[in-house]
Amino acid sequence: MNTEWIKVVIAAFFEVFWVIGLKHADNLWAWIGTMIAIIISFYLMIMAGKKLPVGTVYAVFVGLGTAGTVFSDFVFFGEPFQIAKVFLILVLLAGVIGLKLVTKDTDKEGVES
Amino acid sequence: MAWGSLVVAGLFEMFGVAMINKLHRDQSWQSLVLLILGFGASFVFLAYAMETLPMGTAYAVWTGIGASGGAILGMILYGESKDWKRIIFIVMVLGAAIGLKLVS
Repeated sequence: MNTEWIKVVIAAFFEVFWVIGLKHADNLWAWIGTMIAIIISFYLMIMAGKKLPVGTVYAVFVGLGTAGTVFSDFVFFGEPFQIAKVFLILVLLAGVIGLKLVTKDTDKEGVES
Repeated sequence: MAWGSLVVAGLFEMFGVAMINKLHRDQSWQSLVLLILGFGASFVFLAYAMETLPMGTAYAVWTGIGASGGAILGMILYGESKDWKRIIFIVMVLGAAIGLKLVS
């Protein structure tokens, strides 16, 4: 079941790339890279929904993607550091960990077989 | 017009999330095509709304309608857990994500 959660995390990681790409891509290769990141991130997110509840997966995907984008703005694009944003990122991560804990291992499993 | 377009974008996103559920249930090409069309339409309407609305606001409303609507549809149509703890954690994640987009 941890594999499924790792898929969601990697999907969110690629989401950060394509969000940056949509904002900053200025040549053909950057756009191709952005498209590839979109395809990888959606593929992993959709596949994680096979075993985990889709509502949970999509919320975590959107949430971690947003947190990652804000974080990359701090680190790579020189956005001013705001305490409110750090607080919101912590709330978001607490929610993700909570969802991981309350999602039963057996959710939807066995439906396929 | 921009706000109307934004709401339509959110509804298409909800539809796309519901199609992920349907795809895993019936594994049909039809569900996959509807999924891609749903998210595709959602992005088109979102991009249109962003031409006039501030990006952070547009993103926040879009996420709010799409992801929470998707979770609600999952509970109503696809038997996802209605456990109050799950609902609170989803609200925390989406509330924080919406907050981050609004302050950005």
